[in-house]
Amino acid sequence: MPQFSNKKLILLLVGTIFLVALISFSLRDRQNASLPEQFIKDTVGFAQSLVAKPANYITGIFNDINSLLNTYEENQRLKMRLEDFAVLQAEVNTLQSENKSLQELVDKQDSLREYDPLKATVIARNPDQWEEKIILNKGSSHGVKLNMAVMTANGLIGKISLVTPFTSEVELLHSNNPNNRVSAIIQGKKEDVFGLLEGYDVERNELILKRIDSNFKINEGEKVVTSGLGGIFPKGILIGEVTEVTTDDYGLTKMAYVKPAADFSMVEDVVIAKRTAVTVDGSDGTGTNEDLTNGTKNETTNEGE
Amino acid sequence: MVRFLIPFVAVVLFLLEPEFALFSPVAFGEQTYILVPRFLILYLIFISIYYSRKRACLYGLVFGLLYDVFYIDIIGLYSFLYPLVCFIAGGTVRFIHQHLSVTTILSVVLVALMEIVLYYFFYFIQFTTIPVSVFLSNRLLPTIIANLLFLIMLGWAFKILINARVLQRAQDNS
Repeated sequence: MPQFSNKKLILLLVGTIFLVALISFSLRDRQNASLPEQFIKDTVGFAQSLVAKPANYITGIFNDINSLLNTYEENQRLKMRLEDFAVLQAEVNTLQSENKSLQELVDKQDSLREYDPLKATVIARNPDQWEEKIILNKGSSHGVKLNMAVMTANGLIGKISLVTPFTSEVELLHSNNPNNRVSAIIQGKKEDVFGLLEGYDVERNELILKRIDSNFKINEGEKVVTSGLGGIFPKGILIGEVTEVTTDDYGLTKMAYVKPAADFSMVEDVVIAKRTAVTVDGSDGTGTNEDLTNGTKNETTNEGE
Repeated sequence: MVRFLIPFVAVVLFLLEPEFALFSPVAFGEQTYILVPRFLILYLIFISIYYSRKRACLYGLVFGLLYDVFYIDIIGLYSFLYPLVCFIAGGTVRFIHQHLSVTTILSVVLVALMEIVLYYFFYFIQFTTIPVSVFLSNRLLPTIIANLLFLIMLGWAFKILINARVLQRAQDNS
């Protein structure tokens, strides 16, 4: 048995207390980084971005080889879709011009749909994957702010959870954070149905869309996009596709499983969406579990979006 | 030269970990497997066993702190676990034969133990809700296999590098 002197024992005790205090202190406030933290993050981020460039290049080569192998199949599929696409393009053009003229007619200037895209590169992914996070090479000096939407070419992948001057962290949609909510719309044939994207089913690898009014009928295969009503995200970013509709735990509302459109692994280039319309701290933001009812505190605070 | 190579390799491994994490999660049939690269701590365990326990603990503290601040945002988690693992690894030197294969297995076992501690920590603070069985099959096992492969490929290089440093220090002292 090792001999523990009094001095060592006290040191151990003080160390443990210090450790627990440090952990609980840093757990409490994870949205903001203190000055030394920011400094470390930016320094490591700089080194990381140097390493990320050749690494991205190598993975790019692998992807190229992979897509080269599937060229024939993909070509066939794309040719089939090309004809539809031409028709769709013409339709979109007319709709766009019509929309513009109508907006001018009613003198409506800002739309929830509009955003400034800011391109960023992924420089790292949280290696211990307990929290699904990726780190980008753009920070507050480039205009990134907390809770902005982050997407790839395929669809929404998450939102900014922490910003330092030269880096930012993205909390991915499938992270297990109860506060991670996104206000969404299911685009039905006749009408749009609102819901809140909250939670992720680990076994099915699908997102869960809750609080859908049970009066509406939802079909499988319908597209889910952001609604822009959460306050921070722009409207109309693709999230995924409905795969199954069931009743909620309490039987009052419906919930749907949504297969995400974006691939969460192997993310390289992303776009940060900076909404042009005024932003409000709502369900997309940090205000989800805060008391937004001005003191009339009750149990429904959580639902008060 | 060798003197600076040891911390340099540690820095490179630290920066490579997140790049390898980009490959994960791996979908294989119905299941998705999560591979956690733990290159740095494996290297530090090697340093602890073959070179100096004190040095390894110091590196563990520094890199653990960087890891905490940059990736986890919970300060004190890895900066405690890394030195602890190095400390335990250094303590085994007296009892275990220092053959490369033995060290490899020991390192992987220690990393597995660290993963388990981390799982219970994140379970406790409710960052994860996956049950133990899923953790074992979809996380721990792939992680062990991936890190074992890594060590089999590069463990001998670590040993050569560290031995060169030990030799150099012996020469300096004499």
